[in-house]
Amino acid sequence: MEENSSRPLRDLRAPITRRELLIGAGVVAGGLTVGGLLAACGPSSGTTTGGSSTPRRGGNFRVGVTGGGSKDFIDGQNIDTAPDTARMIATFETLLIYDENYNLTTDGLAESVTQDNPTQWTIRLKQGIEFTNGKTLSADDVIFSLQRILTPGLGLFGHSGLSKSVDPNGIKKMDDRTVRLSLIQPDSTIDAQLGQYYNGIVQVGYDKYPAPQIGTGPFKLASFTVGQQSTHTRNPNYWRSGQPYFDQVTVIDFPDSTAQVNALLAGQVDAITGIPFAQISTVKAHSGLAVLESPTGSWLPICMAIDMPPFTDVRVRQAFKLIADRPAIVAQALSGHGTIGNDMYSPFDPDYASDLPQRHQDLEQAKSLLKAAGQDGLVFDFHTTNNDAGMVDQALVFAQQAKGAGITLNVKNDPNYYGDQYLKLALSVDDWNTRSYLPQVAIGSLATSPFNATHWPPAGSDFEKLYKQAVAEVDKAKRHEIIHAMQVEEYNTGGNIIAFFRNFVDGYSTKVSGLRASRGTLQLDWYGHGYRTIWFNS
Amino acid sequence: MIQGGPDRSARPEVPRSPFWGFVLRRLLLGLIVLILVSIVIFLATQALPGDAARAILGRNATPDSLKALREQLHLNQPLIVQYLTWAGGLLHGDAGMSLAAQEPVTRLVSDRIVNSAFLVLCAGVISIPLSIVIGAYAALWRDKPFDVIVSLATLVFAALPEFVVGVALVILFATTVVQLFPAVSMITPGAPPWSQPQAIVLPTLTLVLAVTPYVARIMRASMIEVLESDYVEMARLKGLPEWIVIRRHALPNALGPTFQVIALNLAYLAGGVIVVEFVFNYAGIGGALRDAVAARDLPVIQALAMLIAGLYVVLNLLADIGTILVTPRLRTRL
Repeated sequence: MEENSSRPLRDLRAPITRRELLIGAGVVAGGLTVGGLLAACGPSSGTTTGGSSTPRRGGNFRVGVTGGGSKDFIDGQNIDTAPDTARMIATFETLLIYDENYNLTTDGLAESVTQDNPTQWTIRLKQGIEFTNGKTLSADDVIFSLQRILTPGLGLFGHSGLSKSVDPNGIKKMDDRTVRLSLIQPDSTIDAQLGQYYNGIVQVGYDKYPAPQIGTGPFKLASFTVGQQSTHTRNPNYWRSGQPYFDQVTVIDFPDSTAQVNALLAGQVDAITGIPFAQISTVKAHSGLAVLESPTGSWLPICMAIDMPPFTDVRVRQAFKLIADRPAIVAQALSGHGTIGNDMYSPFDPDYASDLPQRHQDLEQAKSLLKAAGQDGLVFDFHTTNNDAGMVDQALVFAQQAKGAGITLNVKNDPNYYGDQYLKLALSVDDWNTRSYLPQVAIGSLATSPFNATHWPPAGSDFEKLYKQAVAEVDKAKRHEIIHAMQVEEYNTGGNIIAFFRNFVDGYSTKVSGLRASRGTLQLDWYGHGYRTIWFNS
Repeated sequence: MIQGGPDRSARPEVPRSPFWGFVLRRLLLGLIVLILVSIVIFLATQALPGDAARAILGRNATPDSLKALREQLHLNQPLIVQYLTWAGGLLHGDAGMSLAAQEPVTRLVSDRIVNSAFLVLCAGVISIPLSIVIGAYAALWRDKPFDVIVSLATLVFAALPEFVVGVALVILFATTVVQLFPAVSMITPGAPPWSQPQAIVLPTLTLVLAVTPYVARIMRASMIEVLESDYVEMARLKGLPEWIVIRRHALPNALGPTFQVIALNLAYLAGGVIVVEFVFNYAGIGGALRDAVAARDLPVIQALAMLIAGLYVVLNLLADIGTILVTPRLRTRL
């Protein structure tokens, strides 16, 4: 279930979705290993946009975002709609930060975040960082921020990711810049959680808008009209020297991507998130505009519920995985704006099992597996919904491919899918965003996971035991082995067909410099890292 | 007196008592309609079988939030008390709190009402005289080139959805061909729409193109009918100059049916401009209503539905009064 599933009209393409962020992507710090099959995924690192390479000061950067409405709000630690995200990251910053390769770095507010032992972490803050009201960031603010996230009644985004292992009473101030976390249970993903953009650091006594929005970020909130627009002015005392470059940032809500694209074409906004595939060539052809295409780890799996017939038989699941012609699905469902998948999620995780062979379509093998399982000539309902670009198209393309194996899939496009039937279907399409492996397992692949459409793991499997071992394991090499074993199990017998990972496609004026195609969870290069790494070149 | 005959005394001598009696009767009827509409709106939103609070919260429902929302919506009270509380609030200008924005509904939608009203006003002020003139001349020059062109053009524009017209105007005047006007109407929140006139040019033009064809075609049809009537024939035979025949005898009688169409079109503009608001990102009540439905924001839905219903009633009333004032036949029959 995602935040945008309740939006009724055509534009269902907003990429930041609630469930995607509920637990939050995470990756343990370390080198990124990209296998051959994922080489195409790599961002064109180093290529910045626009002409001038020396940043210039000044200007009002206007960004158009869809997906908002009367539910818009501003909270340094919470989001619901995509415009909420675009506004939050102008003012609020996190302890750790992901770089353009989706590696966790200490480029944030913390100098270091270290796991001392399986149940203890220490956070050390950088020196001399000031809030917009002149107060210096201290350990007290970090403690207040974490305890606020852990307060159950507030329903903050990062709550479910941290509350399982962090004890709100076990957060101790060691000195002015040092905080120690004592965990309830071993957890090696705390640093990844602290790097999630919605786990921002706020000041002691903070409250959401309309209370004053005091953060450490590059911009201060100047005005906010729900469902319409917000303005943000430059923080003159920002701790990163020179940044930000804009005098002002304006975040504008668009109910529909037609108006959003038109505003970009007419020069009324300087950048927009999420261009519909059909409009990409229009934007590209327009002089003075460019398209930013960023690979992501977001995926739209075809989910087979392993405890519902006919998918109780592993041979049927294997046959379905062999039916998928992945390059054809990318070409037809995504207009080519994606990379092929291999039935495993979290491709940016250093522990991603890139050594497993890429699956290809093999209709003969699929047919014989189905025959052996007594399911040849199967006629079955296949459920999907128009929650995100490609969800319905993928179902239609796959159903067409299934005919080659003698299977008839009746595609049911149900607008109420995420309200009524979700998680109760034998064959369906789901919608996930970029996340690293262990947090993804927690939210989608365990008996206790809230959004487990495949009903994984099967009875008698050691998958859950392996997960607990991996989360408790401090040694990266040992953890890698455990995670590899888990992925092999899902690759061979799991219920996900993962045909592709989508790209983000954003549009911007060539007046804007500094945007990079980066891996990640936020569009427009994480909104120019809170609008601080981008500038007007003229 | 011959119906529609030379009637110099017509305007000053509106028969007072029957006319005002008619207006009073229509006002009372309108009031009854509004009360009935309010009951239907209330029943359709808040009192449907099942738990409105659960429907609003959906998957996010927790026992605590359900309890709080039930109290906010007064769901624990008997249905009739709920209705009276809500309707009484409306009469006092209190439409409750928006569930999504946690703000009073009136504050949330007041700017949008001003925006929508201004847009409809602009569209109306341009399209009504324009369509009457076009329709009348098309009838006068029946089957001449002007009439043929008008018939064809109005048919085409009537058949085109506003969405297509709006997008076409954007392509022509804002993005691809020439960049004369803004493609989207980003009116600064809090500023009145007339402070940024360039922002409403294209939305107004779209609405004018949406409404004018209907009204012009009705005007043409009823004008043709009137021109062929006995009293126009009579007036001509009397030797009256043609412009007096048209101004005094034909036009007033042809305007009657046209007023009805104008009223319906204006009411449609008020509630049905959602597509235009979408294309131009114009902050009006259509967008607010769509948003409220998406967010299951009952108080906003109820308030806007009542507003649009009220507008229909008022515009219909005005159209009926206008019809009677300009149509001698009807006026004398009161």
